[in-house]
Amino acid sequence: MPKKSFRQALNEALHSEMARDPRVIMMGEDLTGGAGANGVKDAWGGPFGVTRGLLDAFGPERIRDTPISEAAFIGAAAGAALTGLRPIAEIMFVDFAGVCLDQIMNQAAKFRYMFGGRAKTPLVIRATYGAGSRSGSQHTQALYPIFTHIPGLKVVIPSNPYDAKGLLLQAIRDDDPVIFLEHKMLYDTVGEVPDASYTIPFGEARVVRDGKDVLIVAIGRMVGVAEEAARQLAADGISACVVDPRTTSPLDEETLLDVAEGIGRIIIVDEANPRCSVATDISALFADKCFDALKAPIKLVTAPHTPVPYAPNLEDVYVPTPDAVAKAARSIVKR
Amino acid sequence: MSLIEAVTVPKWGMTMTEGTITQWMVNEGDTIARGQEILEIETTKVTNVLEAAASGTLRRIVLQQGTTAPVGALAGVITDDAATTEEIDAFIATYADRLGAGEGGDAGSAAPRIVEVEGGTVNLLEAGEGDDVVLFLHGFGGDLSTWLFNQPPLAETIRTVAVDLPGHGASSPVDGDVLAKIVSAVSAAVQDLAPGRLHLVGHSFGGAVAARIAAAQPSRVASLTLIAPVGLSRQMSRDFLVDFIAAERRRPLLNVLERLFADPAKITNDMVEGTLRFKRLEGVPEALTAIADTIAGQDGQLLSIREPLAGLNCPVMLIWGEQDQIVPVPDAGTLPANLTLRILPDTGHMPQMEASATVNQAILENIRKASQ
Repeated sequence: MPKKSFRQALNEALHSEMARDPRVIMMGEDLTGGAGANGVKDAWGGPFGVTRGLLDAFGPERIRDTPISEAAFIGAAAGAALTGLRPIAEIMFVDFAGVCLDQIMNQAAKFRYMFGGRAKTPLVIRATYGAGSRSGSQHTQALYPIFTHIPGLKVVIPSNPYDAKGLLLQAIRDDDPVIFLEHKMLYDTVGEVPDASYTIPFGEARVVRDGKDVLIVAIGRMVGVAEEAARQLAADGISACVVDPRTTSPLDEETLLDVAEGIGRIIIVDEANPRCSVATDISALFADKCFDALKAPIKLVTAPHTPVPYAPNLEDVYVPTPDAVAKAARSIVKR
Repeated sequence: MSLIEAVTVPKWGMTMTEGTITQWMVNEGDTIARGQEILEIETTKVTNVLEAAASGTLRRIVLQQGTTAPVGALAGVITDDAATTEEIDAFIATYADRLGAGEGGDAGSAAPRIVEVEGGTVNLLEAGEGDDVVLFLHGFGGDLSTWLFNQPPLAETIRTVAVDLPGHGASSPVDGDVLAKIVSAVSAAVQDLAPGRLHLVGHSFGGAVAARIAAAQPSRVASLTLIAPVGLSRQMSRDFLVDFIAAERRRPLLNVLERLFADPAKITNDMVEGTLRFKRLEGVPEALTAIADTIAGQDGQLLSIREPLAGLNCPVMLIWGEQDQIVPVPDAGTLPANLTLRILPDTGHMPQMEASATVNQAILENIRKASQ
């Protein structure tokens, strides 16, 4: 099977779905990055190179560069979705969602509910998130807990190239607003990705690795951290199961509980700040639904409750590491 | 002369290069019987239990729990009572250079490759050397990894090719007369790879494909080993086919796959995820539906391989799991006379995985008959 980067997998999904469905359009800042410079068309494909080649293939009618006004173009995208198009809007950094949160939280997320189920809002909002790129506090947050909190939104956080393609295709074909979050540090990761199209249903966790001593639940970039921790633990004779929820809304409670009940020891790894987070939400799920199966306290390995530091040494400490996950696992497995 | 037998990290699947010792199921000093489960090993694709290849005493554990080592590395030593400590130490020393060397084991590691055929592509995995070729054909909904525990050991003595049938794994789907097109695509894919004699090993629906290939090229097919093939009775769980196609998520698919095994614990997460991956590809559900409709209808099986098999002169062996819930064991009295039937206890529809050592011996035995 061909190997592709996370970035290529997303680009392939965008290309194939725009070719399949003429209602799919894109809008955002710098999507056509580099277009017009020295006569070069569509030179670098947006700030992270994900949209490369789309302008050339589908033209400026369907690939719309926008002013730096998230409130304006996210509002326009929500309206376009409501009236029959299937827009994909790109917020360069999810940190900027605050500018257009009313359009997301009070408009797009509410249409279906407020129109008695008769309104469809097939809107995808793509955005980058996450620390590790030395980009400072306002460009590196993991804000998925905010979107997960809002009913009416679906929240997708792929952890690998295969899932990135299948989940993005599913997002574009979905009739509800989807927040699709791409970790900046995953764009160059490589994995097997079929050339053919495929979709991955929302609300289905992936069991990344079987194991029987401890369950590690991890989201987005933290899945790789959890896998590395599992390899370290295996060297100590501790068998770790790793589960990636893939989507935080809907959340695959069935798989999480199914696996947790068989193991009884749980670590949740989350790059987001710990208060009112996805990690605490999943922890509460386990405490509520499978308390009797627990053999040890549920442990959370998260970023500290601070902004993401700009200083490289502090940013490195901020992001959960495999060592921290393995240490947490050892602390509950020995009980 | 004393007996000293090595317990080594096995090769499960052609791409396996190393394994992690997750559990010793016996202790040093324990008496071991041949065939006893002694060691659990985890790879990136599967966690499985290793059976002892010899009877004796487990005198030394060389690879402790948690150790990752290359295929072929010495994990432990089984001996008889006569073996001395010095002899055992000397034996272990001969394996020392393999530890951590990262070698892929005797058969090395291999990667599948795509072969272009008329109207599509066929993905296949080759291993081993020789003029004769063992051709592995998996069943409905499977892929070439079905032969995880069979291809590597057979490849030590004979050339082998495992294919993804069209519409499965990484092979492109076919439509129309699906059985004829699958037979044609597989035959074309191996035409140049295997110009010599073929020993066909087919499982379930792959058994029907094998029977058709054998009937079309009787002079080329030297032996036929069919594992729970469709086409020999009317009985069949059509529900399995329908539910397999309908299962789009992990839990429903796991419930379906569990029917394949006498011991459902044999299902690995990798099997479930791998199956979901191919089922999600565009065009695959339609292709599977067409194949399912060819295999069975409301009143049971639609295919028959009795006539093609009855006309063959080569050895034909049938292997069946006694607890097969998908294609139940047919009445032996109704089978063509030139077929040998072997029924395996405590085994479901996947004997090649559940009783791999026995199945491998049976395949080799059938191949040897072809040379007599």
